[in-house]
Amino acid sequence: MRLTALLSMAAKAAFPRDYRYGTNRPWTIAAQRLNPPGKKRRKVFVEPIANEDWHVLRGDTVEILSGKDKGKQGKVAQVFRRRSWVILEGLNTHYRYIGRSGDYRGTYIASEAPLLLKDVTLIDPTDRKPTDIEWRYTEEGERVRVSVRTGRIIPKPVYQRRDGIIPQQWKDGPKDTSPEDTLQKTYTPSLKTLEEEVMEKMNIQEDRRPRKSYWY
Amino acid sequence: MAVSRLTAAVCRQFQRVVTVSSHTQPQCATQAFSRFHLCQRRQTYDSWWFRSSMNNRALHTSCVRKGLEEFFDLPENWGEQTVKSGAPWTAKQLRVKSNEDLHKLWYVLLKEKNMLLTVEQEAKRQRLPMPSPERLKKVERSMKRLDTIVTEREDALRLLQTGQERGRPGEWRRNVFGKTFWYRFKEHPIPWYLNSRYKRRRFFEPSHVAPYTRLSLEKYLRSKMRKDKRQKRNQKRLAAMFPKKTALA
Repeated sequence: MRLTALLSMAAKAAFPRDYRYGTNRPWTIAAQRLNPPGKKRRKVFVEPIANEDWHVLRGDTVEILSGKDKGKQGKVAQVFRRRSWVILEGLNTHYRYIGRSGDYRGTYIASEAPLLLKDVTLIDPTDRKPTDIEWRYTEEGERVRVSVRTGRIIPKPVYQRRDGIIPQQWKDGPKDTSPEDTLQKTYTPSLKTLEEEVMEKMNIQEDRRPRKSYWY
Repeated sequence: MAVSRLTAAVCRQFQRVVTVSSHTQPQCATQAFSRFHLCQRRQTYDSWWFRSSMNNRALHTSCVRKGLEEFFDLPENWGEQTVKSGAPWTAKQLRVKSNEDLHKLWYVLLKEKNMLLTVEQEAKRQRLPMPSPERLKKVERSMKRLDTIVTEREDALRLLQTGQERGRPGEWRRNVFGKTFWYRFKEHPIPWYLNSRYKRRRFFEPSHVAPYTRLSLEKYLRSKMRKDKRQKRNQKRLAAMFPKKTALA
């Protein structure tokens, strides 16, 4: 048991306590360049928001309240909850060169900077104005986001999965189990262990008696 | 009926998990009888089941029971860059399955895992990227969840019948350094009073170590207090930095 624990510790990537997480994933070269092993940066303080209080989801349309693109509305592409960041598509951009090699200066692209959660607000879908949001329960018991100003429910945004699969258009492969078979209930509770039940089904008779052993 | 289900399940080929349902019929087994050399014993024993009138529903699966070929993917997936695969089994879906189904599913997943590991090793050998490595993660997760469900059922049964919380016996003991820890028993062929190596192990603290247990306890309590105070201090600081106010509407 201790060996597996050791191996799992080695496999898990270990970061220092004051590691500054950025927009790049920690295992990429860009992140390694920004956070070399010996660096120490000033600690960032993030407003503590509980997971259930988080109201901006990927795919939502939000409006920016402060910054370069103040007043513009955009769709959320990425959310970083740990740092209360939200990245919108094509807004709050700065320009940089990418893919530099030798003399070639690279492609000039616009890259989005993250916005703090307090600088964005959700938009009421009906009148397209920014509102404050609260989590409330409907009569059916469902927890939904409700705009405080108008009282309308803001639906959950539809966003494509990263692997491009659309659940409604999925076709099972030869090795996939069909939904009916997956959900079919075959379990009947009984006072037998798995081994006993399987031995019964397979007509295995175990006549050998276990040798006496000592546990200490 | 149970036996026919078993053979039918063995016939079927799975990736995510076994489709072990009660209406799988062993017609496949009868047709493939000549090719089926792995489970011959079972076939000859159960062959008379298959010809009964109730087992006449059409089966729609293809069986892969060709020995070493099970270590390789379907031929149409050879050379592909990506292979489509479904979602892994969730614990909720596995909880409604019977023990027999879970047993079969485990082996299906195991064979799939072996196949994927072969593919991974071959890709490493050829220095090419493995096609769809997420399949391996899905299979591993499914197997882990299956194991969780089985341990849950065993724990429930054991608690009901004996009241024991743990499957493996153990007890709290003190080691030579004065630390109390949960000592897990091991199985031995001879009793402890005949085991010279076990008798040499000391599960008590010598008298000169006794003062240090109190000191280490004090150290632990001090560090716990410090951690709690630090957390409270940090929360106060954060609350002061981010006063609660509503966003601008």
